Amino acid sequence: MSQASATRGLPVEISGLTKHFGTVLAVDHLDFTVEPGRVTGFLGPNGSGKTTTLRMLLGLVTPNEGQATIGGKFYRDLPNPSGTVGAVLEATSFHPARRARTHLRMVARAGGHDEARADVVLDLVGLTADATRKVGGFSMGMRQRLELASALIGDPDVLILDEPSNGLDPQGIAWLRDFMRYLAGEGRTILVSSHLLAEMAQTIDNAVIVSHGQLKAQGTLESITSGVAQASMHARTPEADRLCAVLDQAATRFRRLAHDVVAVDGTTPEQLGPLLATNQIILYELTNEGADLESIFLSLTSGLGFGGVDQVDQSA
Amino acid sequence: MINTIRAEMLKMRSMPGIWVCFGLAFPLTALLVWAIFASAGGFPGHTYYYVHTLNEKRQLLGAGYYGITFLAPVLGVICITSEYRHKTITSTLVLTPRRERVLGAKIVVTAWWCALMAALALVVAIGVGLPWNAALGGVTSQVTGQLGAVIPGLVGATILLGLFGLGFGTLVKNQVAGILLVIGGTFILEPILVALARAIFHYDLNWLPTSAAQALAGSLARGFGGNHDAISHLLPWWGGGLAMLGWGLIPLTLGYYTTVRRDVS
Repeated sequence: MSQASATRGLPVEISGLTKHFGTVLAVDHLDFTVEPGRVTGFLGPNGSGKTTTLRMLLGLVTPNEGQATIGGKFYRDLPNPSGTVGAVLEATSFHPARRARTHLRMVARAGGHDEARADVVLDLVGLTADATRKVGGFSMGMRQRLELASALIGDPDVLILDEPSNGLDPQGIAWLRDFMRYLAGEGRTILVSSHLLAEMAQTIDNAVIVSHGQLKAQGTLESITSGVAQASMHARTPEADRLCAVLDQAATRFRRLAHDVVAVDGTTPEQLGPLLATNQIILYELTNEGADLESIFLSLTSGLGFGGVDQVDQSA
Repeated sequence: MINTIRAEMLKMRSMPGIWVCFGLAFPLTALLVWAIFASAGGFPGHTYYYVHTLNEKRQLLGAGYYGITFLAPVLGVICITSEYRHKTITSTLVLTPRRERVLGAKIVVTAWWCALMAALALVVAIGVGLPWNAALGGVTSQVTGQLGAVIPGLVGATILLGLFGLGFGTLVKNQVAGILLVIGGTFILEPILVALARAIFHYDLNWLPTSAAQALAGSLARGFGGNHDAISHLLPWWGGGLAMLGWGLIPLTLGYYTTVRRDVS
């Protein structure tokens, strides 16, 4: 994962952010920081408070407590909001009768940017050929691209993307992934929310995991996925039955995946290797499956909890 | 603020709703021009006649006003409710986080488009009315001589009716409900209320939107055929203007505090 040498982004700081909607606590004293030059995934299941948090950051929703700032300032106090922050919030927020270029010219005008930027960003997101088409005829993927173009019109230092891969086909998702990496490579701050873990795992550098409005984990992707006891070792052996007996005796959790494959949970190669050697178990293959983002996410957000994840690399 | 106004101007221009309003203003004005000539005639041997009284000359120039009376508030309603209907309010407020600027820009833009609609109505009235009047034997200079009396009322009343619609739309947010309530309120409910108040309490509800706008329109508000009784109950033109200003500003202020400032979620 790249770390930009020259940083042009601004940090996003969420501090004690809390929001009630009536009796529903949507966001509960949330604290995290998003660094420039990296793609930070803001992950959580539907209804976990991601969108509300992003809307509070952009001044659309007023928090009950705490604050959300960009470069130390509230969004509404930024001298050039759309030149500092580009936001993709919902792909349906277009007038269907408006043409793509007209929409972008309007966005450019509102932000005080050169209207010629409309064609630049249309080209950037691959919509040049559709510039004069009405947005009502656009597919969801095209709307996502147009929304992204709107966010980029002011060449912002910070990009906030709420579920940007919704509705995109695999090709579009791959494009978006490369695009976010490209933008982060320029030193911009990228905060992208999603509930699609497999997709995010290939894109993000850092992750902030929330559930029920509360922070569950944050840090670099590596620190979250590798530094915990959720690693699963897959052992392929002709002596699977004997291995299971040994593991049972050693009170180690395991799962029989196939007649010759056993998954040993909550262990590391350093722990499992000596155990196999001591018991002289023939081994064809031993692979460290690690703990993927999805399994950690599911355990954190389902309330099962994985020891140690909440504490990982808070400073990263 | 200038940037927001420019953006809102383009936003309005790229909405079909506004062109529907303008499209209706054109035939309505032409229809009313026809009605004025028919009204000026109407005696044996003359189906149509050239405009000859002062009222008729002013009515001819301001023919579009009566059509605009319902189109201007609809335009105002569309200006704000389309944001909620198409969920563009989110991106609008992200682009311009200072919400009072958005509302201020919408006031300017509504006023501008309403003034343009009034101007168009005038152009159509002149374009259709003057040649027809001349063909019927009327003197063109006598009609154009009334332009100064007609223009302030036509433009002023149209702008304030637009702001009334904008304020109402800010309050209700729903486009269909806003349009139906504005039209129904001013053209169905208001006449009923006026009639009831007059019959039961012997009181003229002349400060309600249509009556107030009619008072502001001044020279245009004399009804067809020079019926002066039709306006005897109206406020003075400045009173009508103030009442209309209130009908625009009160819902706008209420809408700002109850809707626009609320969370957008």
